Amino acid sequence: MRTADLELAARCRAGDAGAFEELYRQHARRLFSLVVRMIGSVDDAEDLLQEVFLQAHRKLSGFRGDSALGTWLYRLTMNHCLDHLRARQVRMNRATESLDEEGAEEPTAPAPVVPAVVSRLDLERAIKMLPDGARAAFLLHDVEGFEHREIAQILGISEGTSKSQVHKARMKLRMILRR
Amino acid sequence: MNCELHDDLLDDYVDGVRATDHRSDERFAAFERHLAGCIRCQALVADLTSIRVAASTLDEHIPPPRLWATIASSIEEQQRQPWWQRQLGGAFSAWVPTAVAASIALLLVAGGWNVWQQRRVETSQQGGAPQPREAVPAEQHYEQAIAGLQELANAQNAALDPETRTVLTKNFAVIDRAIDESRAALAQEPASTLAQESLLDALETKVALLQDTVALASDTGGGPDEAAAAVKELNQ
Repeated sequence: MRTADLELAARCRAGDAGAFEELYRQHARRLFSLVVRMIGSVDDAEDLLQEVFLQAHRKLSGFRGDSALGTWLYRLTMNHCLDHLRARQVRMNRATESLDEEGAEEPTAPAPVVPAVVSRLDLERAIKMLPDGARAAFLLHDVEGFEHREIAQILGISEGTSKSQVHKARMKLRMILRR
Repeated sequence: MNCELHDDLLDDYVDGVRATDHRSDERFAAFERHLAGCIRCQALVADLTSIRVAASTLDEHIPPPRLWATIASSIEEQQRQPWWQRQLGGAFSAWVPTAVAASIALLLVAGGWNVWQQRRVETSQQGGAPQPREAVPAEQHYEQAIAGLQELANAQNAALDPETRTVLTKNFAVIDRAIDESRAALAQEPASTLAQESLLDALETKVALLQDTVALASDTGGGPDEAAAAVKELNQ
């Protein structure tokens, strides 16, 4: 697998346009789904994935095969997503931070009813409400099927943190879906 | 037995790990014994398993066919560029609206600030009291920046969600009130440095708020095209 990755990366670096298209075809669908769910917008996901692949094309010379090419691409993608979300959050906080002093809104209490079967539509909505870090770990683990060891590589965190983020995400989803 | 002690094992269990997979780990066997008699943990495992199953069957989002065509043509274009431009990459285009807004503000405000600072130095060197309405040049530059940014923000305002628009409207009302009050104070005491600085602070806050509004709108749909159209109008 690693040898195949290294060969594909070498062909891309050598300017083989077909090789880079092969790389795109292998990973674009899964990466696109991940980006849509991470940033919540199909239009923005297109722009962001385009940036990811252009950056991947520029950075392929730095790929040494320490991880699978797919993991390397996931890492680039998640870095882009998290940067995008951080920038958006900073702007949103600054712009909508109330200039007047007001009391915070009361949180609404969840009703203790658990649906027997979780609908995919409800789950998609609930995923959008997760904190960024927990959403990233949850999508990689429960949706994309990565192991915690791989998630640790992709997100640059420890395996323990990956586990605790997935746990946090599941518990929060449970709370949201009980409403 | 305390349920919280098993949180880490609970997720492993939901992921399909069983005591038989961890014969050497007594905690797994203890957890499974606990689970058999704990309604709370059984409900939790059932809920998390439902979430896990639903997550693994979520629909795939398919990237549009044009995406590869766009990437391929961008790569070709990149390869024709000098190396330093290739390193900067395509990230630039996404920042066009923000960069436009920031540039307008920076150029105008920096110009005004320089004039104001120069006047302060001259006044201090002359040893005299500050002249009435000393802040006028800086104030004018801020106002020009605000007018330019306001046009951009108005052009892209529709891209913002109603809730954000409401908060922004409220914040703009607060900052406009602060500007009015600072102007009133300055009218009463034209030589007051405190009143001058208070007015400039309020104007600067409005510039920052407008910059954030433009950037937020471009995040949520009012993209480079809208910003470019607004800038074109400004330049005409």
